[in-house]
Amino acid sequence: RVSSDGKPPKFQPPPKPVIVDRKTQKEERRFLSPEFIPPRGRTDPLKYYIERKDMIQRRKVFNIPEFYVGSVLAVTTADPYASDKAKRFVGICIQRGGKGLGATFVLRNVIEDQGVEICYELYSPRIQAIEVLKLEKRLDENLMYLRDALPEYSTFDVNMKPVPRMDQEEIPVNKLQVRMKPKPWSKRWERPKYNIKGIKFELPEHKMKAAQKWSQPWMEFDMLREYDTSKIEEKIRKELSEELEK
Amino acid sequence: MMPIWTKSGEKHAVTLLKVQDCHVLRYVSKEESGAKTAKLLVGGKNVSPFSKPESAHEIFKEAGVPRKQKVTTFNVTDDAIIKPGTPLYAAHFRPGQFVDVTAKTIGKGFQGVVKRWGFKGQPASHGQTKTHRRPGAISTNKAAKVYRGKKMAGKMGNIYRTSFGLKVWRINTKHDIIYVNGSVPGHTNCLVKVRDSKLPTYKDCNKNPPFPTFFADGDEELPEDLFDEEIFQFTDPSVTFA
Repeated sequence: RVSSDGKPPKFQPPPKPVIVDRKTQKEERRFLSPEFIPPRGRTDPLKYYIERKDMIQRRKVFNIPEFYVGSVLAVTTADPYASDKAKRFVGICIQRGGKGLGATFVLRNVIEDQGVEICYELYSPRIQAIEVLKLEKRLDENLMYLRDALPEYSTFDVNMKPVPRMDQEEIPVNKLQVRMKPKPWSKRWERPKYNIKGIKFELPEHKMKAAQKWSQPWMEFDMLREYDTSKIEEKIRKELSEELEK
Repeated sequence: MMPIWTKSGEKHAVTLLKVQDCHVLRYVSKEESGAKTAKLLVGGKNVSPFSKPESAHEIFKEAGVPRKQKVTTFNVTDDAIIKPGTPLYAAHFRPGQFVDVTAKTIGKGFQGVVKRWGFKGQPASHGQTKTHRRPGAISTNKAAKVYRGKKMAGKMGNIYRTSFGLKVWRINTKHDIIYVNGSVPGHTNCLVKVRDSKLPTYKDCNKNPPFPTFFADGDEELPEDLFDEEIFQFTDPSVTFA
C-alpha cells in the first residue's frame, strides 16, 4: 500500500463476514404423509404402485395439507341431510391410521360438555375441504389418552381462527403434559407398552414402579421387528414430486 | 383389497385380481369329453419347466406356451371356441359385469369342531370337567349309529370355494388388473379362477361383451382404465349433494 500524503493509509474496515448457516440449509424438511409408506408384508408392490397413482390423482384435484397428530383441523364434509348440505367439524387430530387409499384420521373435540370423536377418511370424495388451523406436533404419536384427560385439554373453539405461521419454520413441538381425570381410565396409560410422554402422572410412586413390571426391554433390540423405510421413502418422495409437478 | 367410492359417496371394498400370462391350452370337443358343452383348458401364471417331467409338458408344447402353474377348464358354447395358444387379457371382462371367483381357501390345518363348524361348545365354569370345546352328543339313541357326514373335527380349509355374483368395478388394461367387489377366497397372491356369473339374476347383465374374448391385435384401442358408470373417478371434484 502506497501512502498518498505521508499520512498512514485510510482505515479500511475488514469485510463483513457472510454467515452461511449450513445446518438450516442442509436439512430440508420434506414431509411424506405416513399413508404412502407401504406396510411390511408379502403383497405385490404393483398393488401399492397402483394405489399411489390413485392417491396422487386425488391430491392433484383436492389439496390435502400437511398435518401431524396434535394439530387442530377443520373438516367440511358433504351431507345430504344438513341445511347448506355441508358439515364443518373442528378438532384436534388424535390418531392417523390406515395405509393407502383407506387412510383415516380421528378428530376430537368437546362440544357442549360432550366429547365427540369423528374418524374421517383422507381420500373420501365427500370431504370438501381440510384446513389446518394450528400446525403443531405433540410428544406422542397417539393421543387417545385425551379421553381420560380433563375435558379442558380437548376443547377447541369451533370458530377458531387459523394460527398464522411462516413457511420455512420448524414445526413446533408442544411439550404439554396433560392432567388426567381420576382413575379408572379406559386403558392403563402408565404402562410402558404405550410409552406415553405427554401425561403428568400424579400417581403414587409404588404404582408407577408396579407398572414397570410390564416393561419389555428386549423389544428395542429385536432385529426382526426393524423396518427401515428410508430407501422406500426416498423413492416414494421422488415419485410424488415428479407426479405432482406435472 | 382397496376402498372404492361411488358417485353418491358410498364406500365399497374391492379386491384386485391380476391376469398374469393366461393362455388357452387346448380345445376339448363335446364328443371327446362326453359332457354337454365343449371345454377349453386355460393355463395361468408362468413357472419354471424344470420341476416337472417332460411328459407333463406335452399340453404346453402343443400350444407353444411356457409351463403354467395352474390349468383350469371352462365350459364353453360352440360359438365361443378360441384357438389354443391365444393369450387372454383382463379386458375380456368389462366393468358392470358380474363374475364368480373360485380359489382354494386358506388352509387352517386340523381344527376342532368349534372353529370348523361353529359349534357353541360348553360353558367355561359351573362344574364342567375337561369339556369346553367338545362336540357333545353326536347322534340320538334310536338311530343307533352316527350318520355319514356328521360334522366333526378335521382338516379345515385348503379346498376350492366360490364367491358368486361379484360386480366388476374397474379394469386396468395396462397392468391387466380386474377390480372385483367384496372379498375373494384364498390368501394374498394365490391363483384364482374368474368366470362369468351363473346366477339367474345376472343372466342378462352382459351387454356387448368382447366375444369370444378380447384379442390385443391393435384394432381396438382401449383406454388404460375402464370404469363402471357409478364409480367416483379421482379426476372429478369432490361429491356435493345439491
